Amino acid sequence: MSKTTEVEKDKKRSIPASAPLMVFFVGLFTYFSVASEYFFDIENFRNIAVALAVTGIVCIPGTLLMIAGQVDLSVGSAAAVSGMIMANMVNKHSIAVGLITALVFGLTLGIINGFLVTVIGVNSLITTLGGLATLYGIALLIGNGQTVMMRNFEWLGTAQPWGVPLPVVIFTVLAIMGAISLRKSTYGRSLYAIGSNPNAARVVGIRSNRLLFITFVLSSVGAALAGAVLCSQLSAADPNAARGLELEVITAIVLGGASLAGGRGSMFGTILGLCTIGILNNGLILLDVPTFWQRVAQGLMLIIAVSFDSLRQKLNNQRS
Amino acid sequence: MNVDLAHLKDIRKSFNGVEVLHGVDLTLAPGEVLALLGENGAGKSTLVKILAGDIPPTSGSITIADTELARLDVYQARQLGVRMIFQELNDAPTLSVAENIFLGQWPGSKGFVAWGDMREKAREILKRLEVDIDVDAQAGSLRVGERQILEIARALTQNAKVLVLDEPTAALSNTEVERLFIVMDQLKKQGVGMIYITHRLDEVSRVADRVQVLRDGNSVLTVDAKGAQRDVLVTAMLGHEALKNARPAPVSTTGNGLEITNLSSGDDFTDVSMTINAGEVVCLFGKIGSGSSEVLESIYGLRPVTGGSIQILGKKFTPKSPQESSSSGIGYLPADRQRLGSFGSRSVAENLAVASWKAMSRLGFVDAGNEVKAFSRWSDALKISARRGPTQEIATLSGGNQQKVLLGRWFEAKVQVLLLVEPTRGVDVGARRDIYDIIRRQAKESGMAVLVATSDYEEVVLLADRALVMSRGKIVSEFTGNSVEATSLISAAS
Repeated sequence: MSKTTEVEKDKKRSIPASAPLMVFFVGLFTYFSVASEYFFDIENFRNIAVALAVTGIVCIPGTLLMIAGQVDLSVGSAAAVSGMIMANMVNKHSIAVGLITALVFGLTLGIINGFLVTVIGVNSLITTLGGLATLYGIALLIGNGQTVMMRNFEWLGTAQPWGVPLPVVIFTVLAIMGAISLRKSTYGRSLYAIGSNPNAARVVGIRSNRLLFITFVLSSVGAALAGAVLCSQLSAADPNAARGLELEVITAIVLGGASLAGGRGSMFGTILGLCTIGILNNGLILLDVPTFWQRVAQGLMLIIAVSFDSLRQKLNNQRS
Repeated sequence: MNVDLAHLKDIRKSFNGVEVLHGVDLTLAPGEVLALLGENGAGKSTLVKILAGDIPPTSGSITIADTELARLDVYQARQLGVRMIFQELNDAPTLSVAENIFLGQWPGSKGFVAWGDMREKAREILKRLEVDIDVDAQAGSLRVGERQILEIARALTQNAKVLVLDEPTAALSNTEVERLFIVMDQLKKQGVGMIYITHRLDEVSRVADRVQVLRDGNSVLTVDAKGAQRDVLVTAMLGHEALKNARPAPVSTTGNGLEITNLSSGDDFTDVSMTINAGEVVCLFGKIGSGSSEVLESIYGLRPVTGGSIQILGKKFTPKSPQESSSSGIGYLPADRQRLGSFGSRSVAENLAVASWKAMSRLGFVDAGNEVKAFSRWSDALKISARRGPTQEIATLSGGNQQKVLLGRWFEAKVQVLLLVEPTRGVDVGARRDIYDIIRRQAKESGMAVLVATSDYEEVVLLADRALVMSRGKIVSEFTGNSVEATSLISAAS
């Protein structure tokens, strides 16, 4: 009897990791609703959702990776290359060929990243930083530095089944799949274990390398898909269109409570982080703040989020 | 006439009001080797740290080379020629042997190193120690014992008169130990006094002139090393109260669980053979470096096997990786719980269930309800106190409770062979008893073969049906039933 009350009391005392962000999000949302007459509007929300969908698609495998203690910085450049490949292939051959080659490119890149990290043993931050530079160069090379126009393939980016933009539908489906995998599947649970303590994961018999390899492949395929969607939205492949995507992705994931050290994080948190970035960007535009400030705000948010993460780790270490 | 190199008189030391040294005397003559014996916590390290100026004594006097000092700091101690050689290496592995010998004090002028001069001097010193090491070799490419000799050589270049060697042989093979002793013989001839801290009684008569035994902060025995009786030393180290321990009741066993034949792994251990019946708890007792924990690592696939064979339930088993082993019904509890055992940021239920996910899942999806059920199944049996229930993060539990969760992990996975390395290290006394009880009960009930590697003789006495003693990579003796008791275990392992 007394035992149960004690358990309940302790449950009440523990605050969910995403609570501070939730408060911040609600505050920001309320502020913009009051400050701008255009903010609280279904059409504006649709705009925000469309603007977020491309980043969101990349955020889902990104969350899996970060929970396992890894990071993929090559996603922005990978999306750019994917778009360039698709635009060229759609123009020369067909939509199907374009889409398939883009995804095959993502698969190949993921296999290379996975191989370098899990077999050769290179640090993922450095490997994918190299990938970021290399792939950006390749994106410029493919189009000779120019934007490539793409004909007759707008539906992937702009179709609105039941009034919901298709990219948002894709993102939502993937997010639900990701959330279920993380919570319920042995794969997702193993990622938490690997991130929490890679040595113990090995000793207890988790096939860490295999699972990390798969996750790197998912990350690159996600980036390739995002690149294809973006290209379809713009009806053109711009080598610069996805620049800084990796920064936005990592900001959203870390804001959402994932730890850079691995072992912590959730899909819900990432989505909340993503929405926070979305309404911040949108609200600043509506309030006529010069767009350069968006960059500043986003960079500051990342720094605040990681500081928060480090502070939380320090406090946890002190307590135990 | 005072001929002592070093003389500590009536040294007392308290930490936070608790006295750990109760007036200890120690003398050391030139060219003498004094072996310092004692169990962990007897005060050996504190005493030599006071001699090296690392920590000040609460009271007492220190005399080094005819200079009496009330306070001694590290710089003074070094000035007077006191040097410590630790078991852990303090070298720069990517630099050459010659550079390491003169580390930080390279001969030369105006900021330039005189390479020729340095290599010549290094060669000279190594020759004086009668060792054959290439001065141009990279220090990291040498064996551990050779690197330790480099540290001694470095101490010599800095004019060492009193050398403290803190368990230098713990990580060395037989031939390396003998080489170190030859170096020590050379140093004796040159009048260097040495304090030699060890756990190994057989080394005492080989290398030491005198033996001093500490127990609970007192000096209890000082005798000539020649003719010192092993039994007398062991009794002095333990005191009498430690010798009496209740033996667990013998357990009836059925069938064959784990059988290993002539198992070897490089230099770590050789020709280890044993048979453990289903339901039996066998302890492999040995000091750190004896190879006992390494045997378990090899069975689990964490360390390469270079010879011999393993059978589990009569079937041949070749360890390849921890993954293979855990899916073949072997469980492994590492000594380093934080680094290799627990997933600190995850819940106790998840930590307990992780090895059983495959059995708990359908089509790759785990039912969280099963995890909670598994946790409640074991939290009562193991007396795990997690106040916040199955979702509490494991890192917030005490060491003993964490260890119980990790034990439950393998019980839940229904392993046939359970390998435990130092299962109660860092666990409080109360939880220890619980852990011993549950291991024995679970072994009997589920017919597990349990092999425990430990350096704690009390653990062997309280836990084992049978004890095997390892020393220097080999099994040296076996005890069964009531013959498993502290004195004979320690005597056999030393």
